[in-house]
Amino acid sequence: MKVLIVEDNQELARNIRDYLGREGYICESCETLEQAKEKITLFQYDCILLDIGLPDGNGISLLNYIRAEYKDTNVLIISARNALDDKIIGLEKGADDYITKPFHLAELHARIRAIYRRKNLGGARIVEFNEISLNTDTFEVRVGDTLLDTTPKEFDLLLYFIVNKNRVLSRQSIAAHLWGDYTDNLANFDFVYQHVKNLRRKISYAGGMDYISTVYGLGYKFNSHLGDNG
Amino acid sequence: MRLTTKFTLWYFAIMLVVLLIGGAIVYYEIQWKLGEVEVARHQRLNDIIALQIRDGGDYTGHPTRKRATVTLLPADSIPKGNASFYTRGLAWNPEFQTDEYKLMVTSFYTIGTAHYRITTYSFIPSFYQLLPGVVDSFKWILLVLLVLVIVSGGLISKYILAPFKRTMRSIQRFDLKQKEPIRLPETKTSEFQELNTFLLQLTESARKDYQSLKEFTENASHELQTPTAIIRGKLDLLMESDIRDEQAILIAEMQNALERLSRIHSSLTLLTKLENKEYKAGEPVCISNLARETLAAFDELIQMKSIDLGVHIEKGVYIPMHQSLADLLLTNLISNAIRHNNVPRGAAKGLIRVELTHEGLVIVNTGREPGIPTKELFERFRKGNSGSDSIGIGLAIVRQICELSHFDIEYHYNSGLHMLAVSFLPKLPASKLLQNLSLPLQVDAAGGRSKNRSL
Repeated sequence: MKVLIVEDNQELARNIRDYLGREGYICESCETLEQAKEKITLFQYDCILLDIGLPDGNGISLLNYIRAEYKDTNVLIISARNALDDKIIGLEKGADDYITKPFHLAELHARIRAIYRRKNLGGARIVEFNEISLNTDTFEVRVGDTLLDTTPKEFDLLLYFIVNKNRVLSRQSIAAHLWGDYTDNLANFDFVYQHVKNLRRKISYAGGMDYISTVYGLGYKFNSHLGDNG
Repeated sequence: MRLTTKFTLWYFAIMLVVLLIGGAIVYYEIQWKLGEVEVARHQRLNDIIALQIRDGGDYTGHPTRKRATVTLLPADSIPKGNASFYTRGLAWNPEFQTDEYKLMVTSFYTIGTAHYRITTYSFIPSFYQLLPGVVDSFKWILLVLLVLVIVSGGLISKYILAPFKRTMRSIQRFDLKQKEPIRLPETKTSEFQELNTFLLQLTESARKDYQSLKEFTENASHELQTPTAIIRGKLDLLMESDIRDEQAILIAEMQNALERLSRIHSSLTLLTKLENKEYKAGEPVCISNLARETLAAFDELIQMKSIDLGVHIEKGVYIPMHQSLADLLLTNLISNAIRHNNVPRGAAKGLIRVELTHEGLVIVNTGREPGIPTKELFERFRKGNSGSDSIGIGLAIVRQICELSHFDIEYHYNSGLHMLAVSFLPKLPASKLLQNLSLPLQVDAAGGRSKNRSL
């Protein structure tokens, strides 16, 4: 997948490039609206990560341009302004999703995948990994042929794991993913622990492999090559 | 005490003193004048008698002699200098059969070669008899003055203090957040002009300070987001690298601190936006649906903590407010009730009760006794339990939303139960809602989830 990062902060852009690069994404970045316009005209991107506050203008104007000229490109807005109204405006103008700084890279990745699934795969949206398959339309999880009785949060969690497989996912990142931005009171890792435990139990019970391992001190990891990390 | 009342009382006290002194002066003046006039009259009478003697007729029985004594004196007994003197004092008045004040004027005359002493007297009203009259008249004067002072005091102060009162009203309406400088009424009174100038400067500098502080907060918070995002990204990447266990712990601790930082940060930004009234109420929001959705979102957590949930939600509760704020309000309150829930002593499980009516919303949950008064929990960074992981800003946000929407909010803690009520109606105090709770506040005897749960 080809991604354009329109972000004036180079460090942040590099973080994103590094993270997505490891997933095999081809990432390019630029810092201004001008450069972004140029790149969009010359090349084709599957997804554009668009920072709203840019040195030479508001990212929303670029969004309008993209929507007018390149309807198929996915746009994910990155904003430092945690304003609910920005979110609504951004989505109304045709952005596919919206993420606020500071975000976890795993979360960003999950969002990009989600947009991609929604727009590009069409038909049944199935995410598969070995014997596990998730249907993002019906929220059903199957291990082999067995239908798993998962709660919505467990479904989210498993999807998050599979999208970010072989990545260490911090408990903070999981909590933020499951409960959103305003979870001051719920940043309670007991809940994360409980959800992960239940999920592992359900997968094992259905005869699936126990791909999820605990990473000492940090969080959890979904191992595609079993035996790597435990 | 009102200024006018104070003035009136002072005036009254001064009047009383002046009238007392004035009364004494009047009293003694009358007394002196009365004596003087009477003496002059008697001297005239004595002169007339002397003239009569000079004429030489027989005046015995003449009205002038009624109270006169004429004595022939030897030449050497005439006192030198004084042609006349008077005495006065109490004496028996045989006419009225009582002791009265007697004035006696004695004059000396030389008529031809003979020397006469002529003494006339009369009884004059006693000064003590005058006193009640004086007191009486002063009583009336005092009364008239009092009425006038009270009436005029009220009217005049109303007129004079009017600019002051208008200034007070403007000050009461003053809000640090307002965009324009305060408007104070014109006045010709120099003291009030001074006051207004002073107030204008004071409010203006307060307002500007507030504005610049606000701008600083906004800019700072905006600028902080990007570095925080960078750190978070770097840590995410660092976690992926080949690290030892000790390093993992260090990273985890950094992650925790960073998480806290970013939460504090986003909450403060949100509070600022709320204070700036950036969220205007739009279409009425269906709180009933929203409450059901929020509860559904937290359903798993409630089950995980095996909390007994009792819900009563009236259908079709529409409130005009910003959708996001309604969402935030419910999320904060319900997540608080879950987060701070714990099993009370002697009970099998904790409980949460949510009651939504057209009047308001009540959320009851079991929990530890807060370490500080419940009112203070609405302050920023105040936590009922200082050891908890939360940053203590959720209720500050809730209060701000309630203030914006003109809701009354009450928080009570009573024997293991936290009760929070939000009244949607401007005239209904939230405490009323707590009295009319319809949900039972005990965990079901069956031990299962409450029957009236209607998700």
